[in-house]
Amino acid sequence: MSRSHFSRSPRGNQDPTFTRTHSHSHSSSNPINTLGLPSPPPNGRRSSMGVEVRGMRRLEQRRNMEESHYLACNARAQNYNPPVDLRLLDYVSSYDNNLMCAICRCPFVDPVILNECDHCFCRACIRQCWNTNTTYTPLGPRGDCPTCRTPAKLGPRSATSKILVNLVDELIVQCPRKDDGCKAEVRRCEVQDHVNIYCGYTLIECTGKDCTDPVRRKDAAQSCLHYGASCLLCHKELQQWKLEAHWRSECPDRRVHCEMCKSPVFHRELEMHNKETCPAISTPCPGCSSRNKRGHAEAHAKSCTFAKLAPVLLRQQERLDEQEAAQKEMSRKLEVLEGGFTNMQGILFPSQEVENADRRSGDSNHIPYLRRSLVSPENADADAPTNDFAGFDWNFSAADVRHDGASSAETFQNGMASPPTRAAPAVPGPRPDDLPEPFSSDFDLASPPTFPPSGPYASPLHHLLSMHESLRDEMTRITSALSELDGRHSMQILNENLRTREEISYLAAQTAGLQRQMHWFTSAQLQRQQGRSPTPGASGSALGGAMMDAGAGAGVEAAVGAVSTAATALRGAARMVNVGGSASGVGMRRGTSEEGRTKL
Amino acid sequence: MTAPLPKRIIKETERLQTEPVPGISAQPHDDNARYFDVTVQGPDGSCYEGGVFNLELFLPDDYPMTPPRIRFLTRIYHPNIDRLGRICLDVLKNNWSPALQIRTILLSIQALLGAPNPEDPLNEAVAKQWKDNQAEAIKNAREWTKLYAQPKE
Repeated sequence: MSRSHFSRSPRGNQDPTFTRTHSHSHSSSNPINTLGLPSPPPNGRRSSMGVEVRGMRRLEQRRNMEESHYLACNARAQNYNPPVDLRLLDYVSSYDNNLMCAICRCPFVDPVILNECDHCFCRACIRQCWNTNTTYTPLGPRGDCPTCRTPAKLGPRSATSKILVNLVDELIVQCPRKDDGCKAEVRRCEVQDHVNIYCGYTLIECTGKDCTDPVRRKDAAQSCLHYGASCLLCHKELQQWKLEAHWRSECPDRRVHCEMCKSPVFHRELEMHNKETCPAISTPCPGCSSRNKRGHAEAHAKSCTFAKLAPVLLRQQERLDEQEAAQKEMSRKLEVLEGGFTNMQGILFPSQEVENADRRSGDSNHIPYLRRSLVSPENADADAPTNDFAGFDWNFSAADVRHDGASSAETFQNGMASPPTRAAPAVPGPRPDDLPEPFSSDFDLASPPTFPPSGPYASPLHHLLSMHESLRDEMTRITSALSELDGRHSMQILNENLRTREEISYLAAQTAGLQRQMHWFTSAQLQRQQGRSPTPGASGSALGGAMMDAGAGAGVEAAVGAVSTAATALRGAARMVNVGGSASGVGMRRGTSEEGRTKL
Repeated sequence: MTAPLPKRIIKETERLQTEPVPGISAQPHDDNARYFDVTVQGPDGSCYEGGVFNLELFLPDDYPMTPPRIRFLTRIYHPNIDRLGRICLDVLKNNWSPALQIRTILLSIQALLGAPNPEDPLNEAVAKQWKDNQAEAIKNAREWTKLYAQPKE
């Protein structure tokens, strides 16, 4: 865009030779701009570049017959220097709010007045606004005025007031390179000239031979500065031409002035200086409540009695904090212990708890949960939807917390009271003596507020909660019955087992007796044979007898073996009975004892 | 963020700090200058009186060519504000104009609190209540304001 200055500059230039030279030099480098951009309307070109054109014209008049070489250099230098964005400038002079574009909130840049409503905007702003909203039309951009919504267009005849352009052009701005050190303040229409031509901090091409690196204009007179150097302060390796910028804003060892005390400080120490040493920053006196600047802190410490006491006070404060923390811990412990104590009390003296609970249930929010309340399931269903009202959560949690300990007490009571003979209670059904207040069938679902107020329950919620309690009671009763049943079953099994075992051992004893008898028989027979065998002269018969006896002995031995195997078999059977007894016993039991067996 | 913050956003932020609109405050986040924490007081004489409503506001990249995105963070009983806090306001949608600013938009929202429009509802249930039984709806709005929109101590 900045290069287009050159393409447009011939207009109004009186010197034909310059025009020729210039257009020639430029057409080679940038042919598009010499043709002109087709999109902006003709008058748009004239006034959109009004600022720059006037500046450039003046520049060209002054320069008049400059060589094309200079222009080429300048054009190349602009690669380093993009065109100044006038909206990012800092304005020195204050300006009237009427000079401000409603869209970008900056003083108008190339203002344009909408014919239809006389509102004024920057040309770029209004075009951007409409381009995003409307499609392209051959008659130029059109849309609604952003301020008053009047349909308007940016036709060839939309006007710009000269006085408006002059007013915004006269505003004084700071050089956009002020951060680099340029202190120039120029009129806004001249700022592009300033940057392109005068500002010493603009980057241009190095004058050194064969060097194309950028260099600041004020350094260009020196020879090529593109060689390595190191910072004297922080010893960082840099190029010579960058050193100044480095000292200005980067080097951590550079000297800066503390804003408060005006004393020079190293940049890297600035933070610490502010925090600890800067005499101009006020600090609170450790004793009294006053704040003093650090420079006067000494004098204050001498006069202030509290400051002298400061160390003592600090120590006391520390101890106080410690004690407080310890106390907090203790009170927490106490709370826990108290909670435990109440629970235990509830278990030990349920009756007292009942009284307490009744006393506490004086307020309507409380639930008379301890009364045995068994309600038929139909009623439970009917009541369920009525609990939808605000405050439900609160009530529920409060009731829950309050009765945790008490409910355990009741469970305990139940376990003691339920007779062992009453096994496996039936499904929770209505018990006439316990049902406190019949929720009669005329209870109307559609109007929860008409809940029977005469009952013991102040609200459906309480009713629900008490029902919950009663269900819990039933559960405990069933559980205890189950465990009792289990105990009985296991006892039965044990008894049967014992009897079987006794029988088996009796059998085993008998078998052992038989075994002994057999032994006795065999040994008697053997002795008889041995007593006969030493008789002389009957060796042949003795041999035959021995043979016969041996056969008999073998038979007896076999009999003994058979008996002993029978004994082992019996023992095995006993074991089988032991195992099988329990298995069959369980198999014959009802399914309810399954749970109990796992407990056993 | 790659692009520098447009001058307009900087100026608007500065002006919101130096000359705040009565009953409205907007604070940009430290890490994102396009994201604002907004509080709007319920307008006097309306059923939101005494309430302080928190909103979040985000300026998209092409602001001011597109409207800022605003959402109520505090729950509010209002026919033009839905349960997620989205606001039904023409200037936040089709009728946005780049000449509008953050402060003007926040003022419009405050005005919307003062004048609910049940004819163009976003929250059907509330709008129906508002049309059928306005007294009840206003009572609800007051309750919600008491419940959710109390200023933090």
